[in-house]
Amino acid sequence: MNPSSIEHVAMPGIAPKIVENVYLPKVAVLDRVVDEIDEVKTFYWHFEDNEAQSAFKRFRPGQFAQVSLFGVGEFPTSLPPSPTEENTFFTVRQVGSCTQALHKLKPGDKFAVRGPYGNGFPMEDYRGKNLVFIAGGIGLIPLRSAIVYALANREHYERIQIFHGAKTPKELMYVSKLLNWERTPGVDCHITVDRAAEGWTGDVGVVGSLFKKPGVKVAVENAVAFVCGPPVMFRFVIQDLLAMGFKERNIVSTLERYMKCGVGKCGHCCIGVAYVCVDGPVFTYEQIKQLGEDI
Amino acid sequence: MKARLLSRGDVLKVVDLLRRRGYEVIAPFRGRGRDTFFDPVTDQNRDRIQIHLPNPYYPPKRFVFPPIERLLKVERSNGDLRIQSTYEERKRAIFGIRSCDVAGIYHLDRFYLGRDFPDIYYQNHRKNLFLVNVACTDPELDIGEECFCMCTDTGPAARDHFDLQLFDLHGMGAQSVKDGDDFLAVAGTPLGETLFADPIFRKGSPEHVAQRSAILDGVRKSFRPGTTSWFSAAIQAVSRGEIPEETWDEVGNRCLECGGCTYVCPACTCFTVTDRLAEGNAVERLRIWDSCALSGFTRMAGGFNPRRAVHDRRNRRFFRKLAHYFIERELSMACVGCGRCAAVCHGDIGMPSVVEMIRRHVTARSNEA
Repeated sequence: MNPSSIEHVAMPGIAPKIVENVYLPKVAVLDRVVDEIDEVKTFYWHFEDNEAQSAFKRFRPGQFAQVSLFGVGEFPTSLPPSPTEENTFFTVRQVGSCTQALHKLKPGDKFAVRGPYGNGFPMEDYRGKNLVFIAGGIGLIPLRSAIVYALANREHYERIQIFHGAKTPKELMYVSKLLNWERTPGVDCHITVDRAAEGWTGDVGVVGSLFKKPGVKVAVENAVAFVCGPPVMFRFVIQDLLAMGFKERNIVSTLERYMKCGVGKCGHCCIGVAYVCVDGPVFTYEQIKQLGEDI
Repeated sequence: MKARLLSRGDVLKVVDLLRRRGYEVIAPFRGRGRDTFFDPVTDQNRDRIQIHLPNPYYPPKRFVFPPIERLLKVERSNGDLRIQSTYEERKRAIFGIRSCDVAGIYHLDRFYLGRDFPDIYYQNHRKNLFLVNVACTDPELDIGEECFCMCTDTGPAARDHFDLQLFDLHGMGAQSVKDGDDFLAVAGTPLGETLFADPIFRKGSPEHVAQRSAILDGVRKSFRPGTTSWFSAAIQAVSRGEIPEETWDEVGNRCLECGGCTYVCPACTCFTVTDRLAEGNAVERLRIWDSCALSGFTRMAGGFNPRRAVHDRRNRRFFRKLAHYFIERELSMACVGCGRCAAVCHGDIGMPSVVEMIRRHVTARSNEA
């Protein structure tokens, strides 16, 4: 959040540098759609233009993209894939007019994407640390990227712990991925649901209850906690983490805000001293507190 | 910077010069009553251009950042999408822009072009824009009740960011009327200086420059002595988070949420983006001025609004404009002292009044301590 270097200085009468159009999205093709949970689907897509595809693939975990459904509008969405993966996809809950329009698309349909935007998680800075991922519900979508990235670069990180909670077993995100992580050696993956359903033999309780489970020891020293989830879950998990001895600067999350441009111009996502789109969406809890707005 | 003299009778010839160079010239005019406005100059209205007048209510911001602007045109056929950027480039000059509005345009330059992701639409409007600033030297006509450029350090005579500045040497405090029928023209850019090749410009003398200073001294004393002199202290208090919550409550209680302050502000930058259906199944993407005063400004899909209360939103506006962090970020301040927000606000919470409220509350609190 430091005032970044001033690169383009405009002076009256002197034409500034010609620049590219940051608002111009590129055409994308929908490949396939996978149902995740109720109202949440994963959309696999690729850019029509190969160069655009390889340029986009340089994104970092925690960044986001702007998706255009022409005639309806444009919306920001996090990037659940890791750049180490082959495919590009979004996982989107149907909540407003744009996301509804996306949900109606069929494979082969075209829309448009621009990005990636935002700071992303500083995964390089976290090398040599323990990583603790805590996700409530669809909060796993933005964390998925960092988890897959960390596992693909396993040698750079110490312990990797994943805690995921959902309301019901039917609402667990990325179920096949989760089951994989549970079986992956060197990954400490715990899953819980608020309300069990028939056939559920796993844990029951809020995600924070997993921290006190017998046999679970959350890494606190030399650790970074990634927390994403609904506001209530966020507040309680933060309390738990602070009580365990986590420093505020070692807890990171990604914020979501109404955004129109994604490039620090439209003003909608500006909170405190930060434009969420360019200074975020990843902030430490220490920064989030200073921004002074509800999560 | 080079300076020249220009006879009063030749001032509008600057407009002619620019028009001959292919500029569409925008200039201030007077409507009925006290209404003033910027309009394109034609052969018919050229003689009615005003040199001294109350600054028009609508700032010239719209010539670089239109209220509605088309960004893209998208053609849809057989499932295919063809997306085109739609740029508007025009060679334009604004004649008679006030010093505060020059600072406003400079702020927009800093905001849209001075950081990562420079805005090409803004740049296209801006790159061929020629600014002829007229310094405010007539205390009756130029300086309004609400003007506080003295506090924002943007007037009454801009120091830079114009191509050409015209300064009326017949202003108040002029020592003699003998030389008083001239304007001092100052070039702010090499492009502005090229105008001096025209014979309407004559060599000046150091006395003319001294006269300019004397007039400015006089003009500075004619501003309404207001609480806006607390402006820099207010910046400090806002930046340090020392404003009591009740100040924002009071501001919020008086805000009618009309958004007027943001629409007349020469330094407000926010916009929303919307799609519009066009002919032949095409779609146009537009950007439209938006306002942080409006309740939907931060409302997300699904209805969650992190900034619900009015006072949160008002706090936001003044924080964004006054916090030192943002002044440093853009190397310019998002308030230029034009006073339009004060003139437009029904609840009397324009910038000067809010600075006064901050002063009252902060000093009351420090008296308690």
